[in-house]
Amino acid sequence: MYSFFNMNFIIPDILLLLFPFIVIGSRLFCNYRSQLPWRIANFGFIAIFILLNFIPLASGEGRFFICNWKIDDFGVLMREVLIVSAILGIWLSKDYFEHGADGKPQMHQIAEFIGAIAFATFGGVTVVSACDLLTFFLGLEIATIPMYALTAWNKKDQLGSEAATKYILMGSVATAFELFGFSYLYGFAGSLHFGEIQQAIATGTSPLLWVAVLFLFCGIGFKLTLFPFYTWAPDVYEGAPTPVTAVLSVTSKATAIAFLVVLVFGPLAPVQEQIAPLIALLAGTTLFVGNLGALKQSRLRRFMAYSSIAQAGYIMVALLGPASTAKTAIVYYLFVYAVSNYLAFFIFGIIGHHREETFASLRGLSKQNPSLAVALAISMFSLAGIPPLAGFFGKFHLFFSGASTGHYALVAFAVLNNVLALYYYIQLIKSAWVDEPDGHLSPLRLTRRQRGVIIALSISVVALGFLPFLSNNVFAGFSF
Amino acid sequence: MINDVTLGYLIFLCPLLTFVINGLFVGNRNAKAAAAIAVTLNGVSALSAILVAVHYFCSTFAPQKAVLFEFTFLPFVDDLVARIGMLVDPLSVMMLVVVTFISLMVNIYSIGYMREDRAEGRFFALLSLFSFSMLGLVVATNLFQMFIFWELVGVSSYLLIGFWYHKPSAVSASKQAFILTRFADSFFLLGIVLVSYVVGSFDFSTINSLSLYPFRAETIDLGICVMSKANALVLGSILIFTGGWGKSAMFPMHIWLPNAMEGPTPVSSIIHSATMVVAGVYLVARLFPFFAVCSDSLTIIMWVGAFTMVFAAVIACTQKDIKRILAYSTLSQLGYMMFALGACKIGQAVITTGWTASTFHIFTHAFFKCSLFLIAGSLIHQVHTNDLDAMGGLRKKMPVTYVCSLISILAISGIPPFSGFFSKDEIILAAFQGHHYVVFALALLTSGLTTFYMFRLFFLAFHGEPRHEGVKAGHVHEDLAMTLPIAVLAIPALLSGLLGKGLFEKFFTPGKLHAPVFVKLPEASWIPFAAVGIAVLALAIAWFLYASPKAKVQRALDAENRSGLYKVVYNKFYFDEMYYAVVRQFIIGGVARVSRAFNDYVVEGLLAFSVWFIHKLGDLVRTAQAGYLPFYLGTLIVGVLIWRFFGQLPL
Repeated sequence: MYSFFNMNFIIPDILLLLFPFIVIGSRLFCNYRSQLPWRIANFGFIAIFILLNFIPLASGEGRFFICNWKIDDFGVLMREVLIVSAILGIWLSKDYFEHGADGKPQMHQIAEFIGAIAFATFGGVTVVSACDLLTFFLGLEIATIPMYALTAWNKKDQLGSEAATKYILMGSVATAFELFGFSYLYGFAGSLHFGEIQQAIATGTSPLLWVAVLFLFCGIGFKLTLFPFYTWAPDVYEGAPTPVTAVLSVTSKATAIAFLVVLVFGPLAPVQEQIAPLIALLAGTTLFVGNLGALKQSRLRRFMAYSSIAQAGYIMVALLGPASTAKTAIVYYLFVYAVSNYLAFFIFGIIGHHREETFASLRGLSKQNPSLAVALAISMFSLAGIPPLAGFFGKFHLFFSGASTGHYALVAFAVLNNVLALYYYIQLIKSAWVDEPDGHLSPLRLTRRQRGVIIALSISVVALGFLPFLSNNVFAGFSF
Repeated sequence: MINDVTLGYLIFLCPLLTFVINGLFVGNRNAKAAAAIAVTLNGVSALSAILVAVHYFCSTFAPQKAVLFEFTFLPFVDDLVARIGMLVDPLSVMMLVVVTFISLMVNIYSIGYMREDRAEGRFFALLSLFSFSMLGLVVATNLFQMFIFWELVGVSSYLLIGFWYHKPSAVSASKQAFILTRFADSFFLLGIVLVSYVVGSFDFSTINSLSLYPFRAETIDLGICVMSKANALVLGSILIFTGGWGKSAMFPMHIWLPNAMEGPTPVSSIIHSATMVVAGVYLVARLFPFFAVCSDSLTIIMWVGAFTMVFAAVIACTQKDIKRILAYSTLSQLGYMMFALGACKIGQAVITTGWTASTFHIFTHAFFKCSLFLIAGSLIHQVHTNDLDAMGGLRKKMPVTYVCSLISILAISGIPPFSGFFSKDEIILAAFQGHHYVVFALALLTSGLTTFYMFRLFFLAFHGEPRHEGVKAGHVHEDLAMTLPIAVLAIPALLSGLLGKGLFEKFFTPGKLHAPVFVKLPEASWIPFAAVGIAVLALAIAWFLYASPKAKVQRALDAENRSGLYKVVYNKFYFDEMYYAVVRQFIIGGVARVSRAFNDYVVEGLLAFSVWFIHKLGDLVRTAQAGYLPFYLGTLIVGVLIWRFFGQLPL
């Protein structure tokens, strides 16, 4: 009985696992117009988020459920990131089930949609809870497969189907890489368990291990959109419905980076120094290519694709640091990134409901809808890392983590690249603030939900920056 | 609760409060209220200063130093802490009285002078900021605080000189003043950094009690060269003096001061008497024991002062703009104060006569110079020009002004028993006792020149026939708000020397010195007679040239058909032109052009290239993104190969 009462930290996970079935099952008892699944989804995600906050942090080595499901501080905070992303994702998607946007038809089957997002979220949770390769791999796949379906949610949309095809084909190859890597890792260590793999690596290395590392990084490079595995991202981001793009850019990215964090600071910890050059190269090339690609885009979602490629590069920089610094920096940045990115996507979504999702549609926004233009500026400046917004502190911690192990060249390169990034983020702001309004653009209307979410997100972007103790609290939760 | 500490706070906070209230709230709306607030609060400040002074000098405590309050401002490292405090010793108490009193007088005067100005409120706000900055400077307990307020003085003078910013000449004069003093200040800051680094403290008490002996053996790496710490301190002392050099407008950094006449006359008055220019002299006086141990620094100071003294006096003899005459006379008087400090050094030993004389002269000069400027302002207010050409015959129309200006002019000329006599006499005595006979002779000569040009001004402005239509027609009157401060200032101009002499001789010594001090000094009772004789002679010449019945005033004022030498002097030895030439040809034409070319071609070229290059790379990334699935799948394979070979894994 003792252990049962101490198992309440597992409740959110179990709820999250049951949740998609409840949402989809509720469809059986109501007609397709009903708001019931939507209400259940809102209630469920928020309840899970609140429950997560009751799990005390700073619990040392973490706790185990049936000795194979580990919940540590990093895991709890990553769960929070994933749930926040899921909540914002379904809020963003709701409008797309009411009418079409950006030249795409209206979407249907909201319950299944929410279920898919919940499954993807659970996949992310599995990745951060895994203690062995099998669970780890399953988590990654649970997180990825719903994404394929989500991308093609608009069955009537040709572009969406094409994007999903590309995504699933490339994803399969990447999964193959991943499995190949895992098999070598197993071959090297003779065990699936992280702890034993770590011990095996600590005692000595062999080419087997390095082949495994190479393929694992290449495989996850696909999901994290690292150079040169990012090629699917712009097409898929462009082809998928806007809310799916947003979920892809946050949930999928967070899952992938969590995968790397678990891997690098778990089983591969003894050889972190040897794989540091690879990480640094991946980070440097990715953020550079992402920035270069974003320079000359005119479609908003394609632009966000490149921007998120670059952001992945920035996050990779933190992986070079010592475990606790890196984890705190990454978790904090993911929060900041989720909030800023969703803010941008909400704005683009509103634009997309009434206009095409291009730079040109932003023209004169500051005159037509000043508050939206302010929100856009906040989100762009935060993504660009301008103090005192949250993005600045997030990037600062990422770079600090990279610099604390002496990778000054990479950090300097990343900072220089930030200038490039500033250039294209400011182009967006210029469209909204400087360019003359275009009379042909249809006017924008905000629903109450949209307005509320945009205000809340803008405030949190500013507040996360202005109140650094919030980030300190994130740090305070750690005692690795 | 009225004790010295609260009074000390009052002295400071009143001007600051005036600045805040007038600057933020009242100034723009109600100019009368702004003036009333300025006069009241500055009055409180002046009263507090006088009370503190009386209490201090009457107590048995004087002339010791005390710190009334002190806050930690910036703790750099453990022992190097910048503090803001209030130091009380005879020098700072004297300066407090001078600054607050002059500031009060100038504020009262401004009520009349600025009555019709559209930005009267702003004027009163800035004037109070100016006196606040100077007050902070004089009570500084350490170099760091002094520098902060030193810069504040610079900023507020900039704002006030350029107060009439619609006049291009005022704008350029304010820029000139600011840039030139900032130029000197940068050396000051270097000096502070150097000295505080070597000594490990900003405090005057520490710096003033140094002796160079322990520093001889250690060396310090200055980046360009390695020198012993003792030499570094000497260098630091010269750098610090350079700050005062610019602020006090010593030759060749003097040109900003006459040009600063573009500001409203009350501003000139306060700049020349109490704030700003005496800051340089004050700095040297404050750090005198430090300068005294730093080998030949004082000799440099003496020569800079002496040369400026003669140089400015010669120029003043030819000018026609009354404010410029007064400006050059200030330069000359500052030269007196500066060289008196420098003249204290005899070989390795020092005497203290010069220090006493110099501080005494700061005190007396403040009153009569302030008064003279206010008088000049009154005259200008009546005839609407600065030019002596248009004055004359004002004696009967402005009797009070006439009497007061006679008092002040006699004071500056050093005629007994007016105040200037006592202080100037002490300065000349100091030069004699310091065995600096060349400087001594120059000082006597300048004393004659001073009398000459001041009486030239006096006779041309007040005597003779009116040369201005308005004056002839009788449209001249004395304004109460403007005449009152002039009359009040005439009292200290007359008496401050007589009454202050005892006080200064009793209390004013530069503190404990670490250099040998001569106590037995040669007496020279003939010096006052010689000085007065020369002054009276100069007065007679001035009378003969400009006021006697035979004098040809028209011819005296005619700038044409003069000798070449006169023209050179009249054009201030072409120093303004030289400055402009250097600035235009060398800095703007040479250095700036080269930098511009470097910027245009090299920097911008590189920039343009990198922008072009980045855009090309961006195009490359876009082109690769053609949407062709086999290519995409290929990247996966290629990626693995790339990181296999370039990933630096030990494969």
